[in-house]
Amino acid sequence: MYWLLFFAVVLKAVLFSTGGMGPLPSLHNDLIAYGWSTEKEFTEALAIGQLTPGPSGLWVLSLCYLVAGLPGALLSCLALLLPPQLILLVQYGYSRIAGHEATQGVLDGVVLVIVSFSVLVLAEIMKSNGLDISLLIITAVSAALAISRRVSANYILAVAALVGFIAN
Amino acid sequence: MKDHRENKVWELKQSGFSLGALLRVWLIIGATSFGGGAMTQYLIQDHFIYRRSWITEEEYAHFWAMCQIAPGINLLAVTILIGNHLAGRMGVAISLLGLVLPSAVITIAISAAYSSISQYPRVQSALRTVFAAIFGISLATNWRMVRPILLANYKHGWQRFAFTLGLFTGSAVFYMVCKPPVAILYILGGLFGAAVYWRTAKKSDEGE
Repeated sequence: MYWLLFFAVVLKAVLFSTGGMGPLPSLHNDLIAYGWSTEKEFTEALAIGQLTPGPSGLWVLSLCYLVAGLPGALLSCLALLLPPQLILLVQYGYSRIAGHEATQGVLDGVVLVIVSFSVLVLAEIMKSNGLDISLLIITAVSAALAISRRVSANYILAVAALVGFIAN
Repeated sequence: MKDHRENKVWELKQSGFSLGALLRVWLIIGATSFGGGAMTQYLIQDHFIYRRSWITEEEYAHFWAMCQIAPGINLLAVTILIGNHLAGRMGVAISLLGLVLPSAVITIAISAAYSSISQYPRVQSALRTVFAAIFGISLATNWRMVRPILLANYKHGWQRFAFTLGLFTGSAVFYMVCKPPVAILYILGGLFGAAVYWRTAKKSDEGE
């Protein structure tokens, strides 16, 4: 494992994204291309990330642990902590750029690209897990429940896990 | 300015603030916020605004707005801003340590535990159904992020609406066909968005 390159790959994914799922497309692209990770490890890390406390972006930590052990997890932790420090610079100039139309354009443009990629990448991972009608039903029901906000995400995940555990 | 700062320090001391108390609160949030970002955000608001009055609702809303234009995990950026607001650089260090240390340790412990049971078929089956649910939840989350952009740009006129749909679908098609570096497309998406919004705003100003 080339640790410096590994760190740079994770740092780049976090630096050029925003939000918990933001680093997913870039990490998926790079870690698969370098042969460091498999689709299965992404599935596992994303699932574990939903079960653990703290910001949702900590699934990256789980992925790097599964891929590269404790050193990988520690490096990814550092890579997750560095880019948000730039918020102090943003705070310095925020009042000057917050009202500008171009600022909102940058935000919306990046969000649209990230959302578009995230859906594609998640669909790709799900396809690699083996698609069947029961999984598609679980996806559709989970999406409907999450949009309705009537059921907490934790309950949805717990029921899905139970269904998978019993159905096997 | 100095008076304002002294008043703030005095108010914080009155409400039981100290660096030790700050660390304790973040450790509690870091260890108990099971349920992802929404739960973490809920606990931050609960502890800092409603239970201890160390920050106001307005300050929190202002911090959250700023974090939308910062790179990385938004909640870590909010943590940095709250720490900086309450106790400067030491506050930043303590806040990050308190939030990340317990949650990172638990994440690594669960990942390690998972590695030792991952070979069992029932565990694999449960993982596949959990991932299907995550995909569904993620579709809902992504829809919530895109919906206000679509609505705002629909109201703003056909140019912006066409841009929104074009960038959303075009970037997906471009990614599938050409597989370009993702970071480059993020930058292009941002620059394209800035140019279109700036241009349409300028045109609408000229029209008025």
